[in-house]
Amino acid sequence: MKLRHILANALVASCLAAGSAEAQEASTLAVAVPSDPRGLEPGTNRAWPIGSEIILNVFDTLVAWTPPEFSELEGRLAESWTISEDGMTFDFILRDGVTFHDGTPFDAASVKFSFERTMELNAYVKATLGLIESIEASSPTELTIRLSRPYPAFMSILAQPQSAIVSPAAVAEHGDDFTNNPVGTGPFKFRDYQADTRVVLDANPDYFRGAPKLSRLIYSVIPEASTRRLELENGGIDVIQQSGQLSAVPLEEMEAFAKNPDIQILESPSQIIRQLEFNNSHPDSPFNDVRVRRAVAHAIDYDGLLGGIFGGTASRVYGPLTSNSWAFNPKVTEMAPGYDPEKARALLAEAGVDPADWNLKLYGFQGSLWGALATFVHANLADVGIDVEIAQTEFPTYRALHTGGEHKIALDGRQPWYNDPDAHITIGYYSGLADSAMTFRMPEDKELDGLILSAQQESDMDKRRELYFEIQEQLVNRVPGAYLFSPKLIVFARSNVSGLVVNSAPPLNEYWSVAKN
Amino acid sequence: MFDFVIRRLLALMPVLFVVLVIVFSLVRFIPGDPAVTLLGPGATESQVAALRAQLNLDAPLLQQFLEYLTGLIQGDMGRSLKSGKPVADEILARLPATLEISVFAVLIAIVVGIPIGILSATRPNSGFDHLVRVVSLVGVSIPAFLLALLLQLIFATWLGLLPVSGRMSAYLFVEPVTGFALIDAWLSGESGAIRSVLVHLVLPTSVLAAFLAATLGRFVRTTMLEVMTEDYIRTARAKGLTWSTVVYGHALRNSLLPAITVVGLKFAEMLGGAILTETIFAWPGIGRFMFEAIRNRDYPVIQGTTLVFALLFMLTSVVVDIIHAMLDPRVRGKMR
Repeated sequence: MKLRHILANALVASCLAAGSAEAQEASTLAVAVPSDPRGLEPGTNRAWPIGSEIILNVFDTLVAWTPPEFSELEGRLAESWTISEDGMTFDFILRDGVTFHDGTPFDAASVKFSFERTMELNAYVKATLGLIESIEASSPTELTIRLSRPYPAFMSILAQPQSAIVSPAAVAEHGDDFTNNPVGTGPFKFRDYQADTRVVLDANPDYFRGAPKLSRLIYSVIPEASTRRLELENGGIDVIQQSGQLSAVPLEEMEAFAKNPDIQILESPSQIIRQLEFNNSHPDSPFNDVRVRRAVAHAIDYDGLLGGIFGGTASRVYGPLTSNSWAFNPKVTEMAPGYDPEKARALLAEAGVDPADWNLKLYGFQGSLWGALATFVHANLADVGIDVEIAQTEFPTYRALHTGGEHKIALDGRQPWYNDPDAHITIGYYSGLADSAMTFRMPEDKELDGLILSAQQESDMDKRRELYFEIQEQLVNRVPGAYLFSPKLIVFARSNVSGLVVNSAPPLNEYWSVAKN
Repeated sequence: MFDFVIRRLLALMPVLFVVLVIVFSLVRFIPGDPAVTLLGPGATESQVAALRAQLNLDAPLLQQFLEYLTGLIQGDMGRSLKSGKPVADEILARLPATLEISVFAVLIAIVVGIPIGILSATRPNSGFDHLVRVVSLVGVSIPAFLLALLLQLIFATWLGLLPVSGRMSAYLFVEPVTGFALIDAWLSGESGAIRSVLVHLVLPTSVLAAFLAATLGRFVRTTMLEVMTEDYIRTARAKGLTWSTVVYGHALRNSLLPAITVVGLKFAEMLGGAILTETIFAWPGIGRFMFEAIRNRDYPVIQGTTLVFALLFMLTSVVVDIIHAMLDPRVRGKMR
């Protein structure tokens, strides 16, 4: 009996002692992420979210979107810039006196080195940075970039993690191993990576925008959602990032955390769109008739979906762009087909079709979010007489089937990785790219294709916006799909964390301004 | 004895080769392209094609296998498609975590399972025996993830006694030297580091140990009961030996032999079965690594981890044979 008491006391005492050791690091912030970060530097990162975010905290880009609106660019390593009339020449004045974490100075030559290196190593930026024809460093603070054709979204591309500036000296020192020893100019210095465990970043006291408020930033890998939740409730970590949101609805966590005074919920609209998509190039599909497509769009109970499945964690989408995009055309909110099952049935009757013999498969991704969505859409379609069989398919197989154009109707979505309408419109609807990725598979259409290409290349921003307005109206009239919703970006944090701003496109956070009180 | 060990080790080679052929072809039968999985839903066809070429996935299968085999003979397990790092390094970085948790779990299982089996067998049909039988039945049949969640909820959330997950507090910084958290914590000299590692070990090892302890307890109980009815036990009792000499000197020694086999086999099984436990407790071991690799279609990693598991499994069985030989003169005789 005595022994048992001693053991119990020892256990309790040691736990309490461990608890106090954990609490003492007041200026260390632990962020839980679901998987091992990869691609910790621009040359190896293929838009992998956790690696991308680490890049934004260890490196700097020439420009960045200004919070909290994220609609205007501000200079980071670039102090100012001018764009030529034809939209092909970009002149930059760079910041003077900035040094990399290894002590070597930042200058125009390092920008040239970084872009050339990333273009050579990273196939992911081929379509974007690949447009660079020449880079000229005329002095340590003056840089000129020429493109091979006009591309107004280029400044957006320069705000991307893949366009961050690396230390040439550190690349020379580490070679292929630079991705394990990333060196930039950013607010945090890379300290340590432990496989499947964590990445440790230490504050850079000499950061040119001022030293960060945290002394250390830790990305802690916790694969299981329920474990992340318990850790946050127990104070074992400070922030949960919802990268897991892409396949699950965080509703249960939302409800539990909303009642917890120790936890705050940060929300921000995203530019992600999820849609019920038609294969617009299928040789033999009932959806080749616009009346049938419109009927499907009228069959969906959009508000029921947002309230019932997402409980306020998503917002309505009316067309090919989210309403927080600078090119969003407010007119589409009235043009978009709303929930009207009567009208849907009437349109089907008008088209003279009998959905009973369609034998449709509704394809979608795996995961609880997509399952709930498929079930909801299934019920809506059944209500107007369209019977579909749900086929949730493992991603690689699904992609092959989709790009092969075998589907007639599918659940899909797009997360734009740079803040420009081009990221949704060109890849999604330009017929020349129809089978190059998971797209709407639009048939060739000289007028629409022409509009998309001019909008992509127009350098006058007002004209550009007008072109995107016109494209949105045309697309909404064609009903290439039913636009379902846009999920909000949700971050859960302990209530003593302040200064965290959730970025919308791409959804990556900067921790420079974050403090723990 | 030495000859026997060498012969057993040599016999492993063809088995390993067969395992290799099966794994190499099986992983390529899983539908889905690693390049597609690596790039995610937003990727275009040209990005996928570029990555396929970069990863050498378009070479003929036989050529890929021969290249892999040649590398393997030279000690090169290839590079992870996901991280681009050598597979051997990736496995070595994670093996200590798995070994740490497994060794502790086996120790707990032995310390708990064997005495319980003995006590239960020496008091058949007592209240204690009934309790042990019920608890061990639960231990054998409860899914690891359920037990893990229950323990997290009770000990971490409700009682606040133990941490939820990880190998040590996220806020502690301990330089990884050996990869064994306990040793690294000791080397770091950081105050509270060893304690943090120890308290973090309790829940995951208990989950892993539960199944083994329950299996072991039930096994020892059954064999003890059998042995206790043997003639030589009756003789020993008739000779006037004390009850404890009979139980611990005669019965236990004879019932432990099969128990060693069980521990050996289950230890290897546990290494592989740690996937769920490692995932729930955010434990960076090779079970979880293999699981992630299967999801990502990271062929070289799946091959590498399977090979390591196969090797560990076979080595454990060799070790079990050796221990048997040391304990049992009859087995020793057959080895020569």
